[in-house]
Amino acid sequence: MTATVDAVAPVGPVPPAPSAVRRRPFGERALPYLLLAPAVLALLVMLGWPALQVVLISFRKLDLGELVRGEVVWTGFDNYAEVLADPEFWSITLRTVLFTAGCVAGTVLAGLGIAVLMRHIGPKVRIVLQIALVLAWAVPILAATTVFQWIFDQQYGILNKTLVLLGFESFAGHSWFSTGASTLVVIGLLIVWQAVPFIAFTLYAGLLAVPRDLYEAAGMDGASGTQTFRAVTWPSIAPLVTMSTFLSVLWDFKVFAQVWAIREGGPDGGSTTLPVLQYLKGIASSHFGVAAAVAVVMTLVLVVFTAQYLRMLLRSGREEL
Amino acid sequence: MKRFSLSALALLIAAVFAFPTYWMLSTAFKPSGQVLSTRYDLVPFEFTFDNFVTAVTKPGFSAFLTNSLVVTIGAVLLALVAGLLAAIPLSRLKFRGRKGFLLLVLIAQMAPLEALLIPMYLMMRDLDLLNTLPSLLLVYFATTLPFTIWTLRGFVNGIPAELEEAAMVDGCSRWQAFRRVTLPLLGPALVSTSVFSFVTAWNEFLYALVFMRDKTNQTLPVWLSSFKTAFGTDWGGAMAASVVFAIPVLTFFLIVQRNLVAGTTAGAVKG
Repeated sequence: MTATVDAVAPVGPVPPAPSAVRRRPFGERALPYLLLAPAVLALLVMLGWPALQVVLISFRKLDLGELVRGEVVWTGFDNYAEVLADPEFWSITLRTVLFTAGCVAGTVLAGLGIAVLMRHIGPKVRIVLQIALVLAWAVPILAATTVFQWIFDQQYGILNKTLVLLGFESFAGHSWFSTGASTLVVIGLLIVWQAVPFIAFTLYAGLLAVPRDLYEAAGMDGASGTQTFRAVTWPSIAPLVTMSTFLSVLWDFKVFAQVWAIREGGPDGGSTTLPVLQYLKGIASSHFGVAAAVAVVMTLVLVVFTAQYLRMLLRSGREEL
Repeated sequence: MKRFSLSALALLIAAVFAFPTYWMLSTAFKPSGQVLSTRYDLVPFEFTFDNFVTAVTKPGFSAFLTNSLVVTIGAVLLALVAGLLAAIPLSRLKFRGRKGFLLLVLIAQMAPLEALLIPMYLMMRDLDLLNTLPSLLLVYFATTLPFTIWTLRGFVNGIPAELEEAAMVDGCSRWQAFRRVTLPLLGPALVSTSVFSFVTAWNEFLYALVFMRDKTNQTLPVWLSSFKTAFGTDWGGAMAASVVFAIPVLTFFLIVQRNLVAGTTAGAVKG
């Protein structure tokens, strides 16, 4: 079958276009670039140029005055010096890193637990669980943020009412947003709640790919539940767990909407994270150069924390492409 | 017995995950007098649509809804066209620069695009596009494009090139082979890719907050974030507005439910 196709191929394309013999190779060669042109143009103008600009702006003094006058004032590393010398910046960075770590750990552990659980329950219960997860996943971020504020409301929130009903009288009128730490815990719960479904479904899909006979063999050898998990389940989904962790770090580190919508980084800056700081420096107080420096440092922190995985990924990506 | 307790645990987890959505709906349908009450009301006593009327008739609501729809749908369509055009040569043709471009797409897909806020803001300011819908539409187009290219390329890879070759042997031109054979097979892929782009753009908050400074010209997420200005302590109204905002996404998730994980993991990087 293939042999006949191969034999025909050299004859086929040549005869129909004797007049276009010269132009055709050029057209063939240009075709991929023409098809790619819109995407390349969009990526260069809308992502490449800003990415270059953010670095350049971080070396400039660019406040409202310079912006209005259209001045370009190069100040070298002044913005970085200003940002890095601010103790507030370091506490915000530490807070962002801890907050991200908490969200990622919560998401991946809960996701893994639910994925394993889904494997061990009957199909009916599993469908119920999956519908509940999809509901949490599909609710838009800002709708979820609004609902969480209502659940955690000081006076009429259902959480405080429930706690009082269960006998914890001290929660009557308890404010969950009075300290930065407590505010971040609520925001973290919100993020984990919305992020777990995707991770759980991804890991569950990975678990389904583990051959059943491996489990049967482990059962016949008399392995306990923990032993089976360690010897059979974990090795086959470890790469997926790594990927989930890495993606969660990328997503949770840059969270802005939930933090801003709940208390705008308050109370007293207590829940301000790096993306909020960038907004406050740049948009709210028009120090564009400083904000660009914050953005660059923020990206560097993220790269440092994901370097190991990024390297692995780019290497495997390059081989595969 | 063990199976029973596992099922009970699963149902408990399901209840926890479904609760906020349930609470949003149940509050949205409660008469306003019963929302701010000290009574313990996990199960609603009465139903009403008043809150939806309140939410939908708030000043500006229909304008904000239109804004959100325009920027989201516009960006999704642009990304779909540009992404499909790019995905075909990336998957089917051999040419110089292919690997490099794919690597760039991969990096762009992972990069924290929030870090481009300042230059994007200044660029839109220079172009006089602040407070206009094209500014948001362009940003959403660019931010969803890498994901779209990467995912569609994965889907095109999944369709055997032999199918097109067979059609060409039967006398189709290359374009006809693509249009008659590959494109119809790509249908479900186009739907699920655009759903994920839609959700990204529909949810986007930071750029919408920064670009649309004019309070009369917002998108729904930004308006909803300041619901206390619009609703005060009218939680019933705020919940009804959240439900309206959630309906398009919930609908789309129902459409693609089967491909939920396949779509995102094809777009993500395989482990």
